[in-house]
Amino acid sequence: MKIGIIGVGAMGGTHADAWTHTPARIVGFVAEHFEHARAMAEKYNAQAYPDLASLLPHIDVIDICTPTHLHSEMVLQAAAAGVDIICEKPLARSVAEGQKMIRASKEAGVKLLVGHVVRFFPEYVGAKRAVEAGQVGEVAVVRLQRDVFRPRKTVGNWFLDFERSGGMILDLMIHDFDYARWVAGPVKTVFCKHIGDPETSPGDHGLAILTHENGAISHVEGSWAYPPPTFRTRFEIAGSGGLLIHDSDASAPISVYRHKGGDGPSSGSGEAAGDVPVPASPLLESPYATQLKAFYDHLRNGAPLPLSAEDGLAALQIALAAIESTQTGKPVQIKPLPEVA
Amino acid sequence: MRLGIMSFAHHHAESYAHALSTMPDVEFIGIADDDRARGEQYARQYGAPFYPSYEALLAERPDGVIICSENVRHWPLVELAAQAGVNVMCEKPLATTLADGQAMLDACEQAGVILMTAFPMRFSAPILEVKALLDRGGLGKVLAVNSVNQGQMPVHHRAWFVDKELAGGGSVFDHTVHLADVLRWYLDSEVVEVYAQTNRIMHREEVEVETGGLLLITFANGTFASIDCSWSRPLIYPTWGGLALDLIGDKGVVNVDAFSQNLTAYSNTDQPAWLPWLSDSDRAMIVEFMAAIREQRPPSVSGYDGYKAMEVALAAYRSAELGEPVVITH
Repeated sequence: MKIGIIGVGAMGGTHADAWTHTPARIVGFVAEHFEHARAMAEKYNAQAYPDLASLLPHIDVIDICTPTHLHSEMVLQAAAAGVDIICEKPLARSVAEGQKMIRASKEAGVKLLVGHVVRFFPEYVGAKRAVEAGQVGEVAVVRLQRDVFRPRKTVGNWFLDFERSGGMILDLMIHDFDYARWVAGPVKTVFCKHIGDPETSPGDHGLAILTHENGAISHVEGSWAYPPPTFRTRFEIAGSGGLLIHDSDASAPISVYRHKGGDGPSSGSGEAAGDVPVPASPLLESPYATQLKAFYDHLRNGAPLPLSAEDGLAALQIALAAIESTQTGKPVQIKPLPEVA
Repeated sequence: MRLGIMSFAHHHAESYAHALSTMPDVEFIGIADDDRARGEQYARQYGAPFYPSYEALLAERPDGVIICSENVRHWPLVELAAQAGVNVMCEKPLATTLADGQAMLDACEQAGVILMTAFPMRFSAPILEVKALLDRGGLGKVLAVNSVNQGQMPVHHRAWFVDKELAGGGSVFDHTVHLADVLRWYLDSEVVEVYAQTNRIMHREEVEVETGGLLLITFANGTFASIDCSWSRPLIYPTWGGLALDLIGDKGVVNVDAFSQNLTAYSNTDQPAWLPWLSDSDRAMIVEFMAAIREQRPPSVSGYDGYKAMEVALAAYRSAELGEPVVITH
């Protein structure tokens, strides 16, 4: 299986490393700046291509790790070329784009897989399995929390450009919107409050209440307002028969305390953070590798996946509804989409 | 100082009775309870006299009483105490309707007696530490808060907690008021909007009130805060529940947990348990009640504070019913 990766930022690099744990072979890279693609090509013994069109004829699968606003156009182009597609989350910048991408992939007979990697993190998978096994009974109140620092690339920081990324709510909170839907079912209503004015706040911070069709309620917190190197996740799933609790601080197996000047953070891994927050708990296989192995097996022999492109579209719809709620100050009803049964 | 307790319907009365019976400068003059068997039992347990009627206790001219009746019965007992010219500390929530709450405020003001609401979080050492941090500007302006006050479904503490007629509601009424009060105090601002969603999935077969609740409230200064008031702690859990806040300020973030100061205890025979070693906030709250009486000044947490916190819980019920945010006018 020949893989091409477009986009070589934090996620492109993470995926490239993860692919090395599968039998697939990365054959080409495309980047906004050709020299970045060339550096990655050298590292992974592949070719650099100037653009997507010149890469597509050489690959079976395109792995799209570009900024969100570019996903739609690239997916359509890949589908037209008959290449299977892995698209980083969020699926798209708008529901209409997402719908078009799903339709085009179906018509072209190519696979469209969305990188909602949280569905491959062992703590989240474990909780999902426990819920399915009846550990908490009927799900009643879900709490999901993801607190990180504001992405801080010095150039081209598209994360901070609402038009391109959809901001913190679409880029970060979408993980937990997707997970809430996974463990508590389809969402009916979203109410969300948010701060994000760079003049007055240290980073975006959002709180949302989701009401699920089955009556369960979820509280979702997403934050870019913590200082680096914070990457903290917490969740609780409470139901008629029990409660599951996760706290990444409580489960961190290693704490390092370093002597150093000043009052900087002294605990945690003790390592400096990258520009873009990426979670890390010591595992023998990174969840990104687990995800790409699952994608590989699905593409190779149809092995089942824990999510569909339609799930990616549903998560996108919730995130955009949350953004709309912050703008109108009202709860937003989720309209059923024909794609999402 | 001579203090008494009116009604042991609320189990917090046990903690207050323990404090009254062990504080050196308190004369625990007695217990009155309309449930005679209950009142006599606790009177024996804490070595205090039992009075067969509330009037009989008040006729002893105590300096103050602590009222721990069912929520809906706070108002008649406060009225009795005010008429007798006796200072009152009333268990939370202050009342079950705004009209009752207002009547309590008016009665105590007219009688010239203190009405204090029993909000022990105002006297919790970790919660106070963060208040001091906020007051010295350590977090800058607080922009958003995520807060939780979850607990076990309390029917096993006292059956009336889950009876809407006596309690005024379920988890929303029981657990919203503590955080609504802490947030008003921390932010020095009033709640202007309340959005809430509730459900009854946990313990659906056992109770008729809501057991799950999430609020997203907005303050006049623009800060917003969520409150999880759910009875989402299973019946087998190391403790009754807890209260914690994550505050996002423009200078940083603070996480505070009012109940993390525990030992974890394991044994060959019992479920794991948390053995608290935290400072006693109930005792500190009674010390403030006594200081206010002695110094003839308003207590640091007033009846009005209880009224404003109850107002948020009542607005949450209206919002949950409408499916829309509800505005509170001041």
